[in-house]
Amino acid sequence: MRKKKEEKEIAITVKDLHIAYRGLKKFSIKKSLLHLKTSKLEIFEAVRGISFEVEKGKILGIVGKNGGGKSTLLRSIAGIFSPDKGIINLHGNSVSLLSIGVGFQPTLTGRENIYLSGLLLGFSEEQINQKYNEIVEFSELGEFIDKPVKTYSSGMYSKLAFSITAILETDIMLIDEVLSVGDVQFRAKSYNKMRELIDDDTRTVIIVSHSSETLQSLCDEVIWMHEGKIKMQGDPDEVIEKYEEFMKVKK
Amino acid sequence: MKRFKENIKKYYKYAKYAAKSELKAEVANSYLNWVWWVLDPICFMIIYTFIVQIVFKTSEQYFPVFVFIGLTAWNFFNTTVSGSVKLVSANKAIVTKVYIPKYILLLVKCFKNCFKMLISWALVLILMLLFKVPFSFKILYWFPIVIVLLVVTFGISSILLHFGIFVEDLFNVTNIFLKLVFYLSGVFYSINSRIKGVLRLLLLKCNPIAFVMDQFRRVMLYNQIPSFKWLGIWFVIGIILSAIGISIIHKYENSYAKVI
Repeated sequence: MRKKKEEKEIAITVKDLHIAYRGLKKFSIKKSLLHLKTSKLEIFEAVRGISFEVEKGKILGIVGKNGGGKSTLLRSIAGIFSPDKGIINLHGNSVSLLSIGVGFQPTLTGRENIYLSGLLLGFSEEQINQKYNEIVEFSELGEFIDKPVKTYSSGMYSKLAFSITAILETDIMLIDEVLSVGDVQFRAKSYNKMRELIDDDTRTVIIVSHSSETLQSLCDEVIWMHEGKIKMQGDPDEVIEKYEEFMKVKK
Repeated sequence: MKRFKENIKKYYKYAKYAAKSELKAEVANSYLNWVWWVLDPICFMIIYTFIVQIVFKTSEQYFPVFVFIGLTAWNFFNTTVSGSVKLVSANKAIVTKVYIPKYILLLVKCFKNCFKMLISWALVLILMLLFKVPFSFKILYWFPIVIVLLVVTFGISSILLHFGIFVEDLFNVTNIFLKLVFYLSGVFYSINSRIKGVLRLLLLKCNPIAFVMDQFRRVMLYNQIPSFKWLGIWFVIGIILSAIGISIIHKYENSYAKVI
């Protein structure tokens, strides 16, 4: 276990967060001409009132079954979704969302995609230049780095994606089930890299995963999300035990 | 406004790099692709020249250059505006993974199309030499006119970008409308000499693209000075449209990822 800091510095504050997919349904001019009645609004609340805080340097795990609002929560912390209600405060930290298949431009080479992703994440060209070799090395792509990304296998694709976000470090990293990337060897390597990143005292990490093993060995705290709400929060072992019990019962 | 400035500062490099690599990708796909940037307007110039001169038996002075200037301005406007409607969903991979101010995507598009347009303008100069159009210093007025074109195009596109996300078939509507504007803009005929009265004024002054085309031709072909009053008016309208577009995007952009 790591040393605990004397003073607690909060890196992420989420307060009473609600996110709904509502009133944003697409409509077409053709349809609205044919059916003059307004269609019913479908409201789907993915996240319904969640509050938690993460201390700087801590690792928070999130479990829950599919559709429980985990990815929505991560995306809203990354700033991609706006909350309908509630506050997300990152206290000025930079944030990146690491998930399978970061948006690459398929016709461009791996090299150009590294720069594009880096610039998108808010790094300067010099910073990327510095880290460039490390990224290429870590991704194990070799000469493929100068080939268009569309020629990559899906494993290579994810390796590159993982390498970019893992090596271009941000204060807060959000990880969406990415530890199962690539072959066995790369998985071990990325797991070690994650450990290394996570052991850094200044980095705050939120991991969404279905792997109880990963969560138990990496996290300081685990949140179990169920249907948009926090069902349980606390020590990894306890929460995961309860979660697994719950899932077994459902079967 | 402040937020806009900060974002531009922050993402300017990305926009430049992205535009550059998009152009590169286009060339990389097939080595002849950049030839099409040149060949495409030339072919259309030949087609319109043929139709107008041989079929309709009318013409303007320096007609091929006349058409080419129209096509150059039109192509930029057309590709940017029609591209903006589906811009966010076309960049789904990026938009759902990172936060990016959505008008930066539009900026990338503008940079890219602008570069292609500059190649096209270089061709205009070559054509002017070929057809022995007399050069005069008034060609320098090209700069303010291009700026008006850029601002107006950005303004219209930024508003369409927003509505394109929520209205599924806006793309079809926009394309029909653009086609209409194309024929009304006088790409291959001169509104000045073919249309009379109020209609001429209406077509020429109320349609920004027709107006801009006419101004280009005035300063490049006919040794006239542009209409500063209308350039000013359209510049202001363009700025207002851009401001509206940007503030709408600021307000709603974080909902986009939920819809696409």
